Amino acid sequence: MSGERGGGRGRNKKDDKDKKGGDRPRGGFFRRRRVCKFCAEKIDYINYKDVRLLSPFIPERGKIQPRRISGTCAKHQRALQTAISRARQLALIPYVTD
Amino acid sequence: MSTNRQYELVYVLTPESTDEQIAELHTQIEQIVQRFNGTFDKTENWGRRKLAYEIGHHREGNYVVETITGSGELMKEIDRRLRVTDTIIRHLTVRVDDELRVAERLRSERKATQARRRTARGLPPEPLPSERRGDRDDMDSDDMGLEGVEGMR
Repeated sequence: MSGERGGGRGRNKKDDKDKKGGDRPRGGFFRRRRVCKFCAEKIDYINYKDVRLLSPFIPERGKIQPRRISGTCAKHQRALQTAISRARQLALIPYVTD
Repeated sequence: MSTNRQYELVYVLTPESTDEQIAELHTQIEQIVQRFNGTFDKTENWGRRKLAYEIGHHREGNYVVETITGSGELMKEIDRRLRVTDTIIRHLTVRVDDELRVAERLRSERKATQARRRTARGLPPEPLPSERRGDRDDMDSDDMGLEGVEGMR
């Protein structure tokens, strides 16, 4: 089951070329967002207690989604990383899921 | 010497713990805070919540979030107390004042930039509710053309 998900993600990666410019979200496509969510929505503080905010960056497996797929900018990816590890300590988010 | 810093303390109690136990722990922490001349800002009880993974055979936990202003020694003492309390299955202390300050600065900077740009374009500094939201900073060159037309009307 997890194998077929992985495949899907790989396919998306291919057309993830131009970073800026094409930021018009065409329909609700599956992980095609190239613009940093936190920049776009002007979220200044990534709260570790807000599971709903963090959950789009945690795929099935429980790992942190890489930047090249989510499109998060470097600055916010760093902040996200901290927030996720804090949330994990508090068992709000799993470390791993099999 | 002892500087005032804002901390956020989150602790998770066992699912079996009663409301009285939670209240008791809360007053205990409050006493420590008072003893160290700290201030208690806010407390938030999330109630029972499912844990993302099992901690010591528990699948659920009672979450409590407290915001405390005080010194590092105060937090050290609270941390020590929580460590030895049996009903606590997990706790986390985070210093938040710096992070919130940064967030506040970013917000005010963005507001100032917005106001500056808008006055330069001859618009009122605050966006009107009728105006479209979601214009991004990096797309301003594009938006200029569009919004300029709007302003003319």
